[in-house]
Amino acid sequence: MQAELEMNQEQDIQFKQMKKKKSKKRLDSWLLLLPALSIFLFFFLLPLVFLFITSFKNFDAATGIGHDWTLQNYAKFITDQFYLGVLWRTVKIALITTLAAVVISYPVAYQITKVRGRMKNYLTLLVLSPLLISMVIRCYGWVILLSNNGVVNNALMKLGLIDKPLTLLYTEFSVVIGMVHVLFPYMVLSIMGSLERIDPSIIRASQNLGAGPIRTFFSVILPLTLPGIFAGSVMVFSLAVSSFVTPAILGGPQVKVMSFLTYEQVSTILNWPFGSAIGFLLIFIATITIIIYSKLLTKSEKGVAIQ
Amino acid sequence: MSYLCLENVVKTFNKTEVVKKMNLEIKKGELVSFLGPSGCGKTTTLNMIAGFLDVDGGSIVVDGKPVHLLPPNKREMGMVFQNYALFPHMTVFDNVAYGLKLRKVPKSEINQRVLEALEMVRLSGYEKRYPKELSGGQQQRVSLARALVIKPKVLLLDEPLSNLDAKLRQEMREEIVDIQKKVGITTIFVTHDQEEALAISDRIAVMYEGRIEQVDTPVAIYNHPQTDFVSRFIGEVNQIQGHVVETFSGNQCKVSFDGYHQVLSCPGTKDTLIDFYLRPEKIQIYQEHSEGLRVRVERKMFLGAKTRYILQLKDQQFIADISNTVLNPDQIIEGQDVLAVWNPEELLATKK
Ligand SMILES: Nc1ncnc2c1ncn2[C@@H]1O[C@H](COP(=O)(O)OP(=O)(O)OP(=O)(O)O)[C@@H](O)[C@H]1O
Ligand SMILES: [Mg+2]
Repeated sequence: MQAELEMNQEQDIQFKQMKKKKSKKRLDSWLLLLPALSIFLFFFLLPLVFLFITSFKNFDAATGIGHDWTLQNYAKFITDQFYLGVLWRTVKIALITTLAAVVISYPVAYQITKVRGRMKNYLTLLVLSPLLISMVIRCYGWVILLSNNGVVNNALMKLGLIDKPLTLLYTEFSVVIGMVHVLFPYMVLSIMGSLERIDPSIIRASQNLGAGPIRTFFSVILPLTLPGIFAGSVMVFSLAVSSFVTPAILGGPQVKVMSFLTYEQVSTILNWPFGSAIGFLLIFIATITIIIYSKLLTKSEKGVAIQ
Repeated sequence: MSYLCLENVVKTFNKTEVVKKMNLEIKKGELVSFLGPSGCGKTTTLNMIAGFLDVDGGSIVVDGKPVHLLPPNKREMGMVFQNYALFPHMTVFDNVAYGLKLRKVPKSEINQRVLEALEMVRLSGYEKRYPKELSGGQQQRVSLARALVIKPKVLLLDEPLSNLDAKLRQEMREEIVDIQKKVGITTIFVTHDQEEALAISDRIAVMYEGRIEQVDTPVAIYNHPQTDFVSRFIGEVNQIQGHVVETFSGNQCKVSFDGYHQVLSCPGTKDTLIDFYLRPEKIQIYQEHSEGLRVRVERKMFLGAKTRYILQLKDQQFIADISNTVLNPDQIIEGQDVLAVWNPEELLATKK
């Protein structure tokens, strides 16, 4: 009994030493992170802190940022129907974009994971190609397609399906189209990642037990790819909710979004505190999504970890 | 009356025939092993039976009905995979219940049958666990329960034990045979472990390069291999050359092994050389004996119940495995000359 106890103690000591060594190692790896960390600190976190502080300052017509502390900026936003409308529109557009991206990307990702060899590389490159073209050029491409005498309207009129051009451009619809175009590669890659992690014999097991392709998809493949869908959705949503160029070109002044409001306040109206408050609300929304996402992810990953 | 029939089944990958005109008949309730070296087409054949691969020729018949054109979900075969292939996002209960839910079995019956199946594989109480919370052996048992609970027509196991450690492997294989016999299900068991195949099978199909070389009971496969490949693949063999010195009527001849004369039945002609196989445990060695093949003991290796002697004859080596109760290994000194003796009936003629 005594001997056993001693042995246990000895093991305990060994264990603690091992732990010490381990934590030292961990410190080393943190040191390697220093460059990235300092960039993150100075160019991301610090401005964020300034933004936060500024958003609680009053507006001074002469200097822009006043000296007094106030909640006025947030109150102004929350009580004004117009601003709330912009907020709702921004979130709505981002949500629809995310949903559309999931629906469009899933079959693409599914198909790419099925092909083998060189073809797979080509297809992946093809999916990534929207990211290779400048955002502005891509948006003007959509302007050409969607404007009143653009390609789409002309074609529809020639076919006799419509009498006068549809209003496609400068609508929420055109903004969503532009955003899905840029953002769906992120979704495809993310879903592909989780599809590729599925062991093919699991799918065979499902078929073997009597499930047809559709049942297998909904009972096995889809649940196992939820983490990929969530990860892709978070990326697409946060990029969509804060995007500026696409809504500016394809939405114009009619389809105002949060980022455009911020821009307006900061560079035209020069009300920096109010602009900061809007900007901070935008960040707040993105953060909330990420938190919801990680909650969902831990839930869906309960049994999904690769074995 | 055979229950599962493979008739001239062919599979071709990129123009190479991986399975060549395979024929096999399995009786109801029988456990047949596919045994063969890596790449001989065991998994491919099993996948064709399960329906994961299309056959490129021939047919597969189960219970009198051709099934080779049905999709895998219509074949009612239970499969146990090498890596278990449990659904990671479902509990043990849901894994086992999956096939029953698909068959629209009423809920109370599902509950009962799942619990019964889990009891059969000795996993009662594990219903709420997720696969990653189980050991490899437990996962494989869940996999077995999941395959059996749907009462499939045929149970297919593809190297189900190869991811387990040696001791667990032995336990599990006994358990699988027990369950198989109790349920009475027709079973194909793929393995490349010959000991496993010999231990559990009713019959073994030895496969080589896409062909079945021999289908027989384990005893027949071991004692009467029909082809050279089977002789060499199952168990260990020494190759030994004899010189036919005399022939008699009725395929009897007198063969000399370096002066050790034996009369045996073989289709030889006078003054030709014949190759034989001889299993290590069929050789006895004596320090003094009236006849025998004179060899030198090169090395001896004590293996517990038996001792392995490496015997040297000119430039050729033999191995002899002798039980320590028959011969005390201390009596034999490395480097000494001994007489190797065997019963002529134990010589396996090669088929060249
Ligand atoms: N999808 C495929 N495409 C091309 N060749 C294949 C494919 N699947 C298997 N093969 C080839 O067919 C042959 C038989 O493969 P199979 O998997 O049936 O072997 P096996 O007997 O199960 O071997 P092991 O014991 O290693 O599992 C191998 O030479 C393999 O390379
Ligand atoms: Mg195999």
